[in-house]
Amino acid sequence: MNPLLEQFISESRELLEGIGQKLMQLEDSPNDRQLIDDLFRSVHTLKGNSGLFTFPEMTRVLHAGEDLLGKVRSGEMAYSRQLADRLLDTMDFVGLLSNEIESTERIDASHAADAARLAESLRALMKEVSVSFTSDPAGSTPITMKSIGAILGELPPLREVPEALRIEAFRRCGNGEKFRWIAYQPAPESFFQGDDPFHRARQTPGLLWGSVQPSEPLPPLAELDTYRCSLKFHLLTAAFHEELVEYFRYVPDQIEIVAVDPLWLAMSECEPENSVGIENDPVSGTPVSEPERSPESIEEIAALARILTAQRQILASGDHPAWLSGRLKAVAAVLKNLANSAGNAEVNDQIEASLTTALASASGRPLLEWLNAHQSRFTTKVVPQFAGSLGPTNAEEETSASATAKPAVDDGTKFGRRAEDSQTGPRSLKVDQAKVDRLMNLIGELVVEKNALPYLAQRAEAQYGMRELSREIKGKYSVINRIADEMQDAIMQVRMMAVSFVFQRFPRLVRDISRKLGKEVRLVLEGEQTEADKNIIESLADPLIHIVRNSLDHGLEMPEIRVAAGKPATGKLTIRAAQEADRVVIEIVDDGKGIDPGVIKQKAYEKGIIDEAMLERISDQEAIDLIFAPGLSTAAVVSDLSGRGVGMDVVRSAVAKVDGTVVVHSELGKGTSIRISLPLSMAVTQVMVIESDGQLFGVPMDHVIETVRVPRSSIRTFKQSKTAVLRGRIVPLKSLNAFLGIAAIPRSNSDDEIAVLLVQAGNAELGLLVDGFQETMGVIQKPFSGFLSGLSAYSGSALMGDGSVLMILNIREIV
Amino acid sequence: MPIEFKKNRAMFREEVSVEEAEELLEWLQGRPEAKADLSACNHLHTANLQVLMAAKTVISSWPKNSELRAWLEPVLKLRD
Repeated sequence: MNPLLEQFISESRELLEGIGQKLMQLEDSPNDRQLIDDLFRSVHTLKGNSGLFTFPEMTRVLHAGEDLLGKVRSGEMAYSRQLADRLLDTMDFVGLLSNEIESTERIDASHAADAARLAESLRALMKEVSVSFTSDPAGSTPITMKSIGAILGELPPLREVPEALRIEAFRRCGNGEKFRWIAYQPAPESFFQGDDPFHRARQTPGLLWGSVQPSEPLPPLAELDTYRCSLKFHLLTAAFHEELVEYFRYVPDQIEIVAVDPLWLAMSECEPENSVGIENDPVSGTPVSEPERSPESIEEIAALARILTAQRQILASGDHPAWLSGRLKAVAAVLKNLANSAGNAEVNDQIEASLTTALASASGRPLLEWLNAHQSRFTTKVVPQFAGSLGPTNAEEETSASATAKPAVDDGTKFGRRAEDSQTGPRSLKVDQAKVDRLMNLIGELVVEKNALPYLAQRAEAQYGMRELSREIKGKYSVINRIADEMQDAIMQVRMMAVSFVFQRFPRLVRDISRKLGKEVRLVLEGEQTEADKNIIESLADPLIHIVRNSLDHGLEMPEIRVAAGKPATGKLTIRAAQEADRVVIEIVDDGKGIDPGVIKQKAYEKGIIDEAMLERISDQEAIDLIFAPGLSTAAVVSDLSGRGVGMDVVRSAVAKVDGTVVVHSELGKGTSIRISLPLSMAVTQVMVIESDGQLFGVPMDHVIETVRVPRSSIRTFKQSKTAVLRGRIVPLKSLNAFLGIAAIPRSNSDDEIAVLLVQAGNAELGLLVDGFQETMGVIQKPFSGFLSGLSAYSGSALMGDGSVLMILNIREIV
Repeated sequence: MPIEFKKNRAMFREEVSVEEAEELLEWLQGRPEAKADLSACNHLHTANLQVLMAAKTVISSWPKNSELRAWLEPVLKLRD
């Protein structure tokens, strides 16, 4: 699924949830302005979002909902329970649509009718209010009766259809085709919506015949409004109902679809009152399958419909009077008689069976279900199509897309709100971060605890002499170790976020800033899918913005200068993310003027950051690194964007806080690249355990370059400092003992070699003289708190498997 | 130009869009005797159709496209 749609769905869910909650809250405090405003805004947002995609059904109902809320907001309407009910229904419907979009990426056209009906019911609410507050919106006439009446009483004007076509249609009916009559009344403003109703009408699927006529008397030419549609269309088509609904899905409220009965086609020369049976139609060549029975006339069918509706009402009534069984028997008898008269006596047994079930369960349901399923049995087999217009369910289906039908608000059609409906839950969970953190802490403890098992195994063997037990403990340990690792990995995955979370704001930011500065910049984002821990990603946001601003402000030149320097006028700013081993590397590269080390040196000297001696000595790269020094700004003018001297030092400290590093490379005239390297996750730190004077210390693996043993003889001493040549480079050496104030000299092994741990921090390297190396392990590092937090030599402490505390050295401080 | 306005005759060509309706209306307003030639027309936007209907314009030749002609003839053929 495309990410935009995915986001739309998850956002819609969120909004829907919020809307639902607010609607509930409003029930308690209907006059809360803030709440109504929020509600309006949420619905508005949702509507706007849905408009980005082609989900006209969703947009339609939301639009109506928005209008309704707009009225409530402006005080034209009072908030009512009924209003909340309908809005909740609407939101359930929208929820249903989003579920469908999620599974199929589209909305089935069958929802168009529901959407139109819901929208209509919402709009009806507005109209009611504008007319009177007391009118009963539910309507006392059941829709089923009304639509039958509409169909039987107001036959579509088929007389308009030329006779030849009508006869053709009738013949095709005989072959099992069904025709539908569409009254299409385009909205007056449809031209403004880019619609061409005539074109739409001409393209109707299965079109047999169509006519166009003025929907209102056309005014004299001088008063004609060209851009107001005042035409309507009548169409006769052989397409299926679903097909038509799909075709007219953008204008469901402007069409009325009626299933055409073959009889109407045959009869339309005569008045419906003088109805004539098919047999008497001279033009009909349709073979009559049961010639001994004459098919029903219009009156008979109307009467039949009335009888059936009455039976339905009886069966559907929910009360349980003492005479229920008598009532059910009476209904069954009526049904049997109807079936007999239709020549379908063979269904009597079925009716009898349903009656028995109904009596046993003391409810009308079984009979009602049978009736709904078999209503066609009550018409003769000659015109099976006719059955379609008999049953209330079908009639309703056919007219439900009609704008004139009464909004079926309380007809029981709900959209997934009922408790018994199975709910399709969203596939992603929103979890409070604290819960994930707790889980992570627990897993951290587990990781530490499991480290105790090897010690236990050792003790079992060494202290109690139980080798067997020791081996078993070790076996168990490896299993627990594996599970713990996987758990840790799983929880890390939960916390992972793509860097696109931070990146997504840059296109806008770069656009705005470059506009302001009058520069032309092309932003290239790469590796947006790279993932890292949520905390890391979040800590990245501010530094990145600083860097990007700096690049735009100081790095990239004005278009004229660029052209003069032989570069393209449009500068290029690349933000690239990639994963390298267990670190995330973010690079911000611009092709601007680069950093001039000379200028930096001078500035740093003027600001007192470096002294004169330093000024002479410092290398170009070191000078460039000075941009991270606090208080340095090279911009001649302090702008509101950057140049206040805060920025790069903030960047460095922010990155260092999550154990990351920043490196700058710059070539004068060519551009600057800033590389930020961050750990993927900061939950578990890999440390190397070293020994010095009998004590254990941890050194984060990120700082460790290598471990070597250097013969004491090859260590040279210049004045106070020791050095050694390692792999052809001179490396300064420092004794850990000396640094920590331990009064002991580094011990050497039997070959008179001293263990040297080669570490780096930033660009600096250092050899640490220690007594010995031990294993590396994953620990959960806890920072010092309170009084101890002043100890800069350590970055924190961790608990070891045997319960002892391991001090983690702060290599940055030592180097 | 989808509609070519001759002295007293509007020639409709291929597809006539909504943009032409205003001009058609203005043109017809001053010429009650004007006729429309739809022979080369494949489709005309509803707005144009409406104008022709309201103006009761005499159609000098019907569209060659028989389907379009079937639509237009009943409404544009003047009975009186």
